[in-house]
Amino acid sequence: MPPAITADRLSKTFKVKVRDPGLKGALQALLKPRYRDVHAVRDVTFGIEPGEIVAFLGPNGAGKTTTLKMLAGLLYPTSGRVTVAGFAPWGGGPAFKRRIALVLGNRQQLVWDLPPEETFQLNRAIYDIAESDYRERLAELVALLELEDLLDKPVRQLSLGERMKCELAAALLHHPPILFLDEPTLGLDVTAQEAIRRFLTQYRDRHGATVLLTSHYMQDVTALASRVLIINRGRLLYDGALAALVARIAHTKRIELMLADGVTAEQLAAFGDVKEFRFPNAVLEVPREEAAATSARLLAQLPVADLSIEDPPIEDVIRVAFARGVAEDEA
Amino acid sequence: MKIRILAALWRLNLAEELQYRANFVASVLGTFFWIGTALLTLAVFFSHTTRLGGWDYWEVVVLLGVFNALTGVIEAVLRPGIGRLAGEVRSGGLDLVLAKPVDAQGFVSFRRLDIWRLADVVLGLALAGYALHRLGRVPSLAQLAAFVLALASAAVVVYALWVVLMSLAFWFVSVENLSVLFDAVYEGARYPVSAYPEALRFLFVYLIPIAWTTTIPASTLTGRLRPEIGLVAALVAGAALALARLVWRTALKRYTGASG
Repeated sequence: MPPAITADRLSKTFKVKVRDPGLKGALQALLKPRYRDVHAVRDVTFGIEPGEIVAFLGPNGAGKTTTLKMLAGLLYPTSGRVTVAGFAPWGGGPAFKRRIALVLGNRQQLVWDLPPEETFQLNRAIYDIAESDYRERLAELVALLELEDLLDKPVRQLSLGERMKCELAAALLHHPPILFLDEPTLGLDVTAQEAIRRFLTQYRDRHGATVLLTSHYMQDVTALASRVLIINRGRLLYDGALAALVARIAHTKRIELMLADGVTAEQLAAFGDVKEFRFPNAVLEVPREEAAATSARLLAQLPVADLSIEDPPIEDVIRVAFARGVAEDEA
Repeated sequence: MKIRILAALWRLNLAEELQYRANFVASVLGTFFWIGTALLTLAVFFSHTTRLGGWDYWEVVVLLGVFNALTGVIEAVLRPGIGRLAGEVRSGGLDLVLAKPVDAQGFVSFRRLDIWRLADVVLGLALAGYALHRLGRVPSLAQLAAFVLALASAAVVVYALWVVLMSLAFWFVSVENLSVLFDAVYEGARYPVSAYPEALRFLFVYLIPIAWTTTIPASTLTGRLRPEIGLVAALVAGAALALARLVWRTALKRYTGASG
């Protein structure tokens, strides 16, 4: 099967008006505008197989959303090539748009004053969905997303989490094989986030959809994505499994201990770097390759009730990855 | 733009609008008030002269009726639809439209129908009919046909103007309210083009085709121009539409969306 999505040296440059602050600056900008090129995305190359769930990671302004919008055919690439479901997204026309769904966490397609079902009906007309298909798909989405009680309430009366569930339903009625999700869990509480995650995995398993998502919540990424693309300052820094990234970047492991009695911080310090110590719990950081040996020594020499070896928090790993990427950039 | 999608969109609209029936009364009252003021202004003009650009009082009232009918089309369809484009370009609200398998220009342009404002179309045409009666003219079948064609063309020309003006938002994202620009230009359509100095007249006929919105349709009714002008109007409309489409397509490439 050909890849669902390919990007080949994809770049997008925006011209941005430069303006000095104050009235003088405003006047200057009006009379003699100066422009600066902002390279939002630079030479990004990757491929995504059908059925994969891939997460896009990067700080704000890294180029995630811009890339996503080029893939969805909203933005015209400055250079490079993209194919999505066999189409060039820009100018792919209706045939292309029927194969994708775009959900933006900070935009809404539901009609505010009317129940969500009215928007669903509109999409039924837009995507030309047969009545029987519509009924069947709506029933499935209602069951998976637990929407029974929401369908006839005006959208303005729904909570943020309920609205996002309905947004997802509206975006998936036409059964697109490719989903672009930009911050789908933005601002949602933990329960709603989990519901969305569970739904996305189920949906992928049932329909083999390819999902590319961006998120600030690391739990979204660890729970959903088999693979991450890390982007910073418009450049792709890493493309691969999350576990491999951790192994590559994190040179340490965390040993989490529960101690039985009378152990001091000094005693622990002999085994590694003490990160936390609040009796009976302690966290040690040790070089990755020594983790097993150190654990054995800990068990032998100290009264340990419980011990586990963990990778460092994924947030820390990502932060290191960004920091290195920036360093490379400036070299 | 498929009829089925339009029907679905307008049905939604209607469901929203029907909650506010008072809008209809307010809208009709507003129109009466507007027509009253416009007629009064005309009366003041004509107390000093008997002709305006070679047109007598009731001829200008026919034109005023056409102007009002077109205003109805603008207020019912264009301003609530494509009129909101500039804001959406800035806020990124266009994103979700562009992701849909529809013609974005058509969708943006005709997504809303402020149904009450269509009353202006009826009232405008009634005013034109009454003025025609006062002139003692009964238009021939050919003249009526030319009028319908010219009026339809006028609506198309006005639409093309909106598309071009609104497309400017893709270049000048910070433009606050492009619809004001339209209003300024459209004001010129309130009077027959012959009332304007030569230079403006040229501008309105050939560059910013305001002459084709009111002067030409009114002239077909009053018999000032031969019915064949209806065909020319259709050509002008076709050209304006094609040009607007070109501008739109060029503009869309410059869409940057709002970040975040």
